[in-house]
Amino acid sequence: MKELNELNLPEDLRYTEDHEWVRTESANVKIGIDDYAQDQLGDIVFVELPQVGDKFAKGDEFGTVESVKAVSELYMPIGGEIFAINENLEETPESVNSSPYDDGWMIEIKPDDPAKIESLMDKNAYLEMLKG
Amino acid sequence: MRVHKTGIVQEHLMTRKQSGLFDVSHMGRFVFRGKDAVPFLQYVLTNNSAALEIEESQYTIIPNERGGAIDDAYLYRFKEEEYLLVVNASNRQKDWNHFQSELKRFDDLEMTDRTMDIAMLSLQGPASKELLLGIIDSGYLPEPTRNSLGTITINNAEILIARTGYTGEPVCFELFIENKDALMIFDLLIEKGTVPIGLGARDTLRLEASLPLYGHELGEDPEGNEIPIFACGLSKFAVSSSPLKGNFIGKDPLVTQFEALKKIANRDYSQIENLPRLVRPVALTGKGLARAGFKVFRGDKHIGFVTSGTMVPFWEYQGEGIESDLTGKNGRRAICLALLDSNLIDGDKIQIEIRGKMTDAVIVPYHMRSEAPPAARAITYKMLRMEKKEIKESKVLEKVSHLTSKAMTNTIWRQQECINLIPSEQTMSPMTRLLSIQDPVGRYAEHKPVKAFSEADVFYYQGTDFIAEVEALLVNEFRKYLGCEEAETRIISGQMANTAVFSAMVDYINRTDRKIEQRRIRKVLNNHIIKGGHLSAQPMGALRDYVARDPKTEKPSVVNFPVHKDNPYKIDVEACKNIIVGHKPELIIFGKSMTLHHEPVAAIRSFINDQSIDCTIMYDMAHVLGLVGPYFQEPFKEGADLVTGSTHKTFFGTQRGVIGANFKETDARFELWEAIQRRAFPGSVSNHHLGTMLGLLLSAYEMNHFKDEYQKKVLSNAKIFAGALNECGLSVAGDPDISYTQTHQAILNVGYAKGPAIAKQLEANNIIVNYQAAPEEEGFTASGSLRMGAQEMTRFGMEKEDFQELAQLIHDVVANNKSVKDKVISFRKRFLEMKYCFSGDEYENIIQKLHDLI
Repeated sequence: MKELNELNLPEDLRYTEDHEWVRTESANVKIGIDDYAQDQLGDIVFVELPQVGDKFAKGDEFGTVESVKAVSELYMPIGGEIFAINENLEETPESVNSSPYDDGWMIEIKPDDPAKIESLMDKNAYLEMLKG
Repeated sequence: MRVHKTGIVQEHLMTRKQSGLFDVSHMGRFVFRGKDAVPFLQYVLTNNSAALEIEESQYTIIPNERGGAIDDAYLYRFKEEEYLLVVNASNRQKDWNHFQSELKRFDDLEMTDRTMDIAMLSLQGPASKELLLGIIDSGYLPEPTRNSLGTITINNAEILIARTGYTGEPVCFELFIENKDALMIFDLLIEKGTVPIGLGARDTLRLEASLPLYGHELGEDPEGNEIPIFACGLSKFAVSSSPLKGNFIGKDPLVTQFEALKKIANRDYSQIENLPRLVRPVALTGKGLARAGFKVFRGDKHIGFVTSGTMVPFWEYQGEGIESDLTGKNGRRAICLALLDSNLIDGDKIQIEIRGKMTDAVIVPYHMRSEAPPAARAITYKMLRMEKKEIKESKVLEKVSHLTSKAMTNTIWRQQECINLIPSEQTMSPMTRLLSIQDPVGRYAEHKPVKAFSEADVFYYQGTDFIAEVEALLVNEFRKYLGCEEAETRIISGQMANTAVFSAMVDYINRTDRKIEQRRIRKVLNNHIIKGGHLSAQPMGALRDYVARDPKTEKPSVVNFPVHKDNPYKIDVEACKNIIVGHKPELIIFGKSMTLHHEPVAAIRSFINDQSIDCTIMYDMAHVLGLVGPYFQEPFKEGADLVTGSTHKTFFGTQRGVIGANFKETDARFELWEAIQRRAFPGSVSNHHLGTMLGLLLSAYEMNHFKDEYQKKVLSNAKIFAGALNECGLSVAGDPDISYTQTHQAILNVGYAKGPAIAKQLEANNIIVNYQAAPEEEGFTASGSLRMGAQEMTRFGMEKEDFQELAQLIHDVVANNKSVKDKVISFRKRFLEMKYCFSGDEYENIIQKLHDLI
């Protein structure tokens, strides 16, 4: 497994304590799991995602990601409505391992309050958290 | 140990395609010595420890008094006086304490925990054998059967090695190494190209193979109820019912469970309460993954729990059967093992509750098959439901034209364009063929000798005078040919000849008491199938219903001729003597289908006589029947009692069988001969195929007339052929000192598991051979040899120089991948006229008349 200094954590993203990442794309927000999470989970073989139109509050479980060894819940970093899901993950869940921030994105949401993104951790704060 | 090293999915796939190396040193290793070692192991384990010969191992279970499992384990006997038991790491202390508490009743027993002294590595996967062969300094890999053991040295390190594993791989090894050498061996194996595999992939591999894991499929279920040992499929092999085992912990409940299991297998659920649930492989057909502990339903009814489950990867294949090959692509599938109500059957649709949602699943018989070494093959639910190919209906004239034109094309191809080298085949002479389809081909002529008429044969049908004469003449020709007192020619195949003899043996053994259950043949000594023995003399073939079960091994009571380590094609006569003394076989069967040497009939006969062992010696001459004589072997002169054979391999005949016996009417065992006749008719045939019998008589005339010339030529051509293949640079099996062969066969080694593909490639070049597993290979799918015979092409006139030329053509295909089809076709054109048969003007006229009658 990767050492902390080996992790790929882009500067322009925000991160959560549950290891999700958040990226603003015009009015919407894309969400996935970060390099640390995919590395910890190992080979990801199944991703269960919500339906377009579903509404969630911050902290709600929106899906699960399963590796060979374990299942992990996915939590909403901020509240919002599902605008799109990454349907490719049904056939190629391993994209979450190989490309967690691009091909491996999970959901795109219309945030209830875009300003809430600013309350999430940036890269440095997230790394500090990981260091414990 | 880390859970995963390069990723579970990649590690799983690497193991299945190439090989994987597992450090399993964390498992517990206990050593037992002393006179009471076996009695103790018999008492605390479920399997029959006394069945283990040196260099054998077995899966076993440590039972509790209730018929549940304290642990499962593997018992190894590398050395005469030492038993090594490998137990699960997490149960090591529990197992040790349990054994300690049972030790008191056994005086002469020393139990030591050697877990910390010996490392244990597991090398699994199709490439693992070649990898090991490349680094062994001395010693031999264990015999190519599961659970066999051996000792090797690598870089001066002595390693105990077992053909065992926990992946389902058919090519599998576990290595026990002293600590000081362990890292060196690990590094060396990695350097040679294997990859380290973590515990995560170890778990997915064993799940795919449906192997149980303590704490999941053994121990307690998710509700805390004890899982009965017989709930696991492997228990049928791990729990012994041998009368030699005596009392052992949990015996009574295990007997009860086994009785229930037998009933459940017959869909009789009257004792289901003794075994309410069974561990079954389950494939998910809906989305999601099943994990241990999930509940399983059928409709509204809760029917059990998932015991292990996840998503596993698998390699995809394309093509059919033995020619199917990896596509390079892999898929993944959600599978699990589940402890389910025992009244469910394969194919039953069920639902698994995954975090509150129901997902569809189905009970399957297995997730994977290991019987086609060197690779294990994943079997998905979809593959289990392959539909049978529909044959399109067409008009009758089309069907007839298609059939006849293809038959003609096929005959031209095999008879005029191919070099036919299959050692069990022959072309009949034109006259033999024509005789085979004269009037008798549609007739019946059942008959038997009746004592009331002074042994006169009584026929049940009219119009049979001619065929009665044919049969009498045929018997006479075979008695002359084989050099024996009696011959039975009604048998229509070599396998049927063997079946009739085995059945007659049982009849004869029981002749003094017909009222009791008829006892089977107590012990048989034969050639192991992997050492060239033929199916028809194996328990899996004709011997099955006639040989007793050995209460010690709980297997058919058959022992095999030991062979020389450096020449596994040759029986080791000295070692064989110990086996004969130890086992006192009631029947010895010589003869093989992959055969390079004379069989040591005379040496074994003289030993049997010296030891006064009551034993029948039979030589199944199927392959070499046409070679009987001074240049090969004369089994009756050497002391055989019986000869069986098929009449169409090296012999010239139609496809039939024959039995010869050397008992005189005054001999005590003449009754065995009478039993053989009864088991021929009515035991094996009613109609004995009179057309081919007529043809066989002509070919027996041919053989008795031409045998001197033909036999010498076949045997010398085989030696020349083998030598020429070797000189081309190909690897020829056998002893160079005897020019590789004393039979009609030559055996070419083409590389582990490459036999089927190379045989196919030769076929594409019109050279017809057959692939065969060599004595060190795991099975026919792993064949690395080609078996060839000189008999048919010798009959078509091929001489020394021609076999040398043919060797070069074979080399061009095998070594250089050249296309030689056109060359082969023109080569064959030189050998279209059959020799060693009656020809010339006086016969041409006869052949024409026979032909006109058809």
